Amino acid sequence: MTLELKELTGGYGQVSVLKKETFTVEDGQVVGLIGLNGAGKSTTIKHIIGLLTPRGGQILIDGLSLQDNVEEYRKKIAYVPEMPILYSELTLKEHINLTIMAYGLDHDKTWDKAHELLKTFRLDNKLDWFPQNFSKGMKQKVMIVCAFMTDARLFIIDEPFTGLDPLAVNDLLNIVEEKKQKGCSVLMSTHVLATVQDHADKFILLNHGQVRADGTLDELKEKFDMQNGNLDDIYIKMSNEDH
Amino acid sequence: MTDLWKERLRRHQLNQFKYLRLIFNDNFVLAFIVLIGALGFWYSNFLDTINQVTIFGKPVVIILFWFIAQSGSVATLLEEPDSTFLLVKEKDFYDYFKAARNYSSMLPVVAVALVGFLMSPFAFKAAGLSVLSIIMLTLGVVVYKFAMLNFEVFGIYGKKNLKGLSIKSWVNLALIVLLILSAYLNSFILIVVAAILLGYVVSRSQSICESGQLQWQSAIDKENQRMFRIKRFYNLFTDVPGVNSKIRRRKWLDFLFKGIKEEQGNTYLYLFARGFVRNNEYIGLFMRLTIIQAIMLCLIDNFYISLIVEMLFIYLVGFQLKPYFKETMQNLMQRIYPVKQSDKIKDFTKLSMFVLFIQWLVSVFAILYKFGFSLNGLMIVAAGLAVLIFVGYFYIPKQLKKIF
Repeated sequence: MTLELKELTGGYGQVSVLKKETFTVEDGQVVGLIGLNGAGKSTTIKHIIGLLTPRGGQILIDGLSLQDNVEEYRKKIAYVPEMPILYSELTLKEHINLTIMAYGLDHDKTWDKAHELLKTFRLDNKLDWFPQNFSKGMKQKVMIVCAFMTDARLFIIDEPFTGLDPLAVNDLLNIVEEKKQKGCSVLMSTHVLATVQDHADKFILLNHGQVRADGTLDELKEKFDMQNGNLDDIYIKMSNEDH
Repeated sequence: MTDLWKERLRRHQLNQFKYLRLIFNDNFVLAFIVLIGALGFWYSNFLDTINQVTIFGKPVVIILFWFIAQSGSVATLLEEPDSTFLLVKEKDFYDYFKAARNYSSMLPVVAVALVGFLMSPFAFKAAGLSVLSIIMLTLGVVVYKFAMLNFEVFGIYGKKNLKGLSIKSWVNLALIVLLILSAYLNSFILIVVAAILLGYVVSRSQSICESGQLQWQSAIDKENQRMFRIKRFYNLFTDVPGVNSKIRRRKWLDFLFKGIKEEQGNTYLYLFARGFVRNNEYIGLFMRLTIIQAIMLCLIDNFYISLIVEMLFIYLVGFQLKPYFKETMQNLMQRIYPVKQSDKIKDFTKLSMFVLFIQWLVSVFAILYKFGFSLNGLMIVAAGLAVLIFVGYFYIPKQLKKIF
C-alpha cells in the first residue's frame, strides 16, 4: 500500500492551511507526522480520509483517488481520531457489528480478530456497555479495536499516545508492528516524540502547512546538521527557525 | 457585576428568542391552536355541568395554586468557567444574584396570574369562593413566590437546611397550610403572612447571604440542569446543539431488530433502528404523539376534527423524525464508511415507514372504536394511510437529500 500526497493544498473555508504539501508513505512503513499545534497535521489527515476536499493537488492510495471510486478508496483506510467518536445508542458489541457491516467484512473471521484485540485492551467483559459508561481512554481503545480489525491497508492514527495508559500504548505499538509485518502502512500524528522516534521508520516534519523536512532519523539529523541530536532537538530547532 | 448580569441576560434572551422563533413555526401553531381550542371547548362544557358547590372544589383550587407556585426558579445564568475566572469576584456576586432574582420574578407572576384567571370561574362555581377571595389568593401566591425566590438565593450561599429539613420543604409545607387556612377561613391570611415573610427576607437578605459561602459548584450544576430542561423542551420542536438525551438499553425491545439482517446494505438500518428505540428523545416523541392522537380519536365524535387529527399527527411524527437523521449524519465516523449516501436515505426511509405504520395501526384501532366499520371511519383510516405514504415515501426522502 502506498499513500501519495502531491502538492496538496486545502483547509477549512477560505483559508488554505496546507500549502503544496507533498510526501509519500510506502508499503510497510510506519510514518510519524510531526508538527506544532496548528501546523496542519489534523487537516492533512482529514483530507486523506476524505472529510475535506482538496483545493489543489492530489491524494492517491495505490494510485486510486477518492473521486475514482469512493467506496474502494474508503475500504483501504482505517482511522482512529484524536477524540473518540462513538454512537451513544450502541453498545460496544454493536459498534463492532456495525463496523463489520459498513466495511462488508466476514462476520466470524472479523469477530475472532476483534475478540483478540478486546482481550488485549481488557475490554472483553464490557461488550454490553454503552459509550457513556466508558472513560476517555476506554473509548479510544474501542476506536482502535474497530479500526484494526478491518482489512484496511492504511491505518491513520491521530495523536494515539495521549489518554492511553502506558500498557495500552505498548499494546498499540505491538499491533502497529504486527500490521507493518503484513505490509500495511501506518501514518500517525503525535507530539510524543520519544515514543514515535523508536517506532517509526520515517518522519514528516510539518510547519505552517508545508513539509519542512522528511526522512529517517539519520536523514533528518543530516538535514538539520545535528549529528548528536534526537527528534526533540530537531523539532525545537525547526520551531526556532521562525524567529 | 450588574453589567455582567445585563450582558448575560441580553445574550440569554437573544438565544431564547432564536429558539422560540423556530418553535412557533406554521406546523406547531396549527397543532397548538387545535389543542387550545379542544381544551377550551372541554373546559367550558365541564363548567356547564357544575351547578352547585362541591367538596372537591376547594382542594382542587389549593392543589392547583400550590403546583403553579413551584414553577419558575432563579435563573442565575452562571457558566462553567465562572468558578475559575470569577472566583476572585465572589464578594461582588450578591448584586448579580439580586438582579437575577428580580428578573426571575416576572415569569412566575404571569404564570400564577394566568392560572388564577383561568381557574376563577371554577373557583367561583365549584369552590364557592368570592371574586375578592380569588383575587386575594392569587395575589397571595404571587407575593409568596417572591419570598420563595429569595430563599433560593440563600440556597446559593449554602443556606439550604433548617432543623434537618431543607428550607424548600419548609416553605412548601407552609404554603400548603396557608392555602388551606385562606381557602377555608379567611382569604387574607395568605397574603398577610406572605407580605410579612417577604419583608423579613428582603431586609435580612444581604446579611444572611454574607454569613454563608457561595456554593459555586452546586449553583453552576443547578443552572446547567435548569438550562438543560429548557433546551430539552425546545429540542422537541427543533435541534438544539449540546442536548444529549438519555439513552436506555431497553433489552426487551431487542426482538424488533431481529428482522434486520447483518449485511452491508443494512448498516444504517442497524444503527437507526437501535438509536430510535434507545434514545428517549425520539421514542418518547413518538409515544407521546401516538398516545395523544389515540386518546383524541377515542374522544372526538366529529368526523372533520378526527380527520384532521389523524392526518396532522402522522405528518407531525414524520416531520419530527428528520432531526434524528441529521443528528446521526453529524457523526464523523459514519462519514468515512464505505457506504453510499443513497443507502443511508434508503435505510432511514425503511425506519420512518415502519414507525409511521405502527402509529397508523394504533390510530386505526382508536378510529374503529369510535366510528366502527362506517364509511366515515374508513375514510379517516384511508386518509391516514395516504399521509403515511406521502410522508414516508416522498416527503422524508426529499427532505433528507437536502441535508447532505
